[in-house]
Amino acid sequence: MKLRYLLPAVLLGALSTASMSAQAAVTVLGWPGGPEETALRAAAKAYNALPDVAAENKVELLFFSRDGFYDKLAADLAANTDAFDVNLIATYSIGRYAPFMEPVDLGAGAKDVFGDAVLSTMQYEGKQFGVPTDLSLHFMYYRSDLIDALLSDDAAKARYSEIAEKYLGKAMQPKKPEDWSWNDWAATALYFTKAVNSDSPTRYGTVLQMKNLLFNMMVFQSLPRAYGADWMDADGNITVDSDAYKTGLELYRKLLDAGATPKDSLSYEYPEANAAFGSGQVATMLQWNAAAGDLLSTEKNPVVASVTKTMAPPSGPEGRFTHVHGLGLGINKSGKNKEGAQKFLQWLATADAMEIYAKAGGAPGLTGPALDAVAAERPDLVPLGSYASQYGYVMRGATSASALSVYELQAKAFTGYWGDVKSLDDALAEAKSGMAELLK
Amino acid sequence: MANESLKENRILATPVVVFLLAMLGFPAVLDLIYSVSTVSFENLRDPTISGFGNYREVLGDPYFWSAVSFSTRFGLLTAALETALGLFLAVFLAPLIHRRFWLMAIFMMPMIIAPSMMGLMYRLVLHEFVGPLPYYLFEFFGESPAFLSPQLAFRTLVVIETLQWTPFTLLLFYTAYSSIPNDIREAAKVDGTRGLRLFTHIELPALLPTLVVAFGIRFIDGFRVFDNIYVLIGSGAGGSSTSLSIYIYTAFFKSADIGKALAASVLLFVVAFGLLWLVGWLLKKRRPA
Repeated sequence: MKLRYLLPAVLLGALSTASMSAQAAVTVLGWPGGPEETALRAAAKAYNALPDVAAENKVELLFFSRDGFYDKLAADLAANTDAFDVNLIATYSIGRYAPFMEPVDLGAGAKDVFGDAVLSTMQYEGKQFGVPTDLSLHFMYYRSDLIDALLSDDAAKARYSEIAEKYLGKAMQPKKPEDWSWNDWAATALYFTKAVNSDSPTRYGTVLQMKNLLFNMMVFQSLPRAYGADWMDADGNITVDSDAYKTGLELYRKLLDAGATPKDSLSYEYPEANAAFGSGQVATMLQWNAAAGDLLSTEKNPVVASVTKTMAPPSGPEGRFTHVHGLGLGINKSGKNKEGAQKFLQWLATADAMEIYAKAGGAPGLTGPALDAVAAERPDLVPLGSYASQYGYVMRGATSASALSVYELQAKAFTGYWGDVKSLDDALAEAKSGMAELLK
Repeated sequence: MANESLKENRILATPVVVFLLAMLGFPAVLDLIYSVSTVSFENLRDPTISGFGNYREVLGDPYFWSAVSFSTRFGLLTAALETALGLFLAVFLAPLIHRRFWLMAIFMMPMIIAPSMMGLMYRLVLHEFVGPLPYYLFEFFGESPAFLSPQLAFRTLVVIETLQWTPFTLLLFYTAYSSIPNDIREAAKVDGTRGLRLFTHIELPALLPTLVVAFGIRFIDGFRVFDNIYVLIGSGAGGSSTSLSIYIYTAFFKSADIGKALAASVLLFVVAFGLLWLVGWLLKKRRPA
């Protein structure tokens, strides 16, 4: 009686196992939960539909939580996992993962699709380790309706000047966002803060992401960089205790103390900041370019989408800068189907693939005809390449194997100062000694 | 006959022993080796034994002591609050729960939510622009406190933990309270003992073992807290909400300081084992011969 039920079950199990092994695929571990995932799904679907892709080279996607992603990836790679053939990498983590990955040949056409600068975001020690699928840099998002109203009202300008003098020590005049220095931005943020200016139409002038999180350090560093900050000098000495860093850290703290950013900003990261800006109660926000798709969508953010504009981050005495890094996909050295992985990545580096990827929500840094093909549908991708080449920077040591740990260290030290847990000098001393250890 | 029984017992126990050795013994030995090694993700399979430097580094790290302090304060405070509240609710609601036991299922609901989900939920609930709590505070008072600022985060975390785990102590106390024989209460009432005196002199002593167990379990759980805090605010501004578990996690994964992380975990194990031994010794000493 039992055998009557057991036998078909065993046969079914054997058959399903056999069919699974016959369909060995290229498993791709992607960046989960954002436009990158949507875009990768669209690209994988298109690739699998190609007639010349063999059954054993079809792409299967794998996603796990974004929280702690890089830590889990590090543990998996270090354990020589063969659970995936292709995995995500980022500019700042290539040094950490390169020992467990294989260089990839993207073919001669990749240069025409991405250009040298963007390709280099996926290079380590002169070797190409991945396809640069998404370029990440920062935009200054601002409410054009509010800025226009400020610039056309003399009484408002006078009030702006008073506020700037009181909080920043200098009577300033409002300027167009394209001409903002970091101080102009700070004065604007203060002007649009209810706690500072009771007539402000918004509760806060800006929303700062100040959570103890490495990604928030990337957002922050464009400010001190505009004052000449770097992690090290040419001789390898740590320079995080420079005046440039002090200026940036103090300006953030000043805005927090003045109430120009939500009081809970020390627990804010990407989604919290977007939610704040999308509420219509925030006038400006320094945020990743990846947020543009959502913030400029009238469906997703009906309150602010039609009046929100973007530009490169403000300038400082040393110029205008934006942190830049790429997300990409490379080959796991321990993967089971490295040949299939190579084929998929070569295809992904073509103009056709990138068109599909970009139109599905990805943010590749494209150039030439590849960019022209998507410009009408994705106008936000047009400034990516130019911002990256004009304002992009990478701090000295920021692609080393310890780069992520340096960001973590800075996040702990700097948020300690912002949260009034430690003094500025103590925070900088802690960052300096830790960085000296990590970058020696 | 006795020998045969012993042999059978050994055979039957073998799978459990092998399982425990594989699942607990092997990682424990590996922890001990790594804790005295120079090790990174690159040489996980080939660590270099380097002595007790990791232990010295941990013991000299102010963040370690800060994490010990956070975990101890958090564990003690949440255990005390949950025990007191659970005891009060169990006694106060006992007549109601006795008549309508299905209410217990509703009281238990917070407990069945995964702690990480609880953290995620409060991340939304407390957010100024999407959370209901700040929304109503702004509506009624025109102001809302920064629940997750370094100054208020500890209190907020304690409240969240207490709200989630008081149902557990309520369940323990209600079960213990219900099992006190009614004839003891009746005998006391015949002797003229009622109300608060009945509770403090008759019922509370009967609940004392449950109280110790509830406090102990909740302290251990509070001391090793990780999920909800990490999801809610990470390790906090300047590491101000770093529990010992978060300290070990960040040292291991964030800073890739594997030897240091495992040295801290070994120290935690030694201290926990010492405390357990001490409690066991005290209980044994109190027990009448």
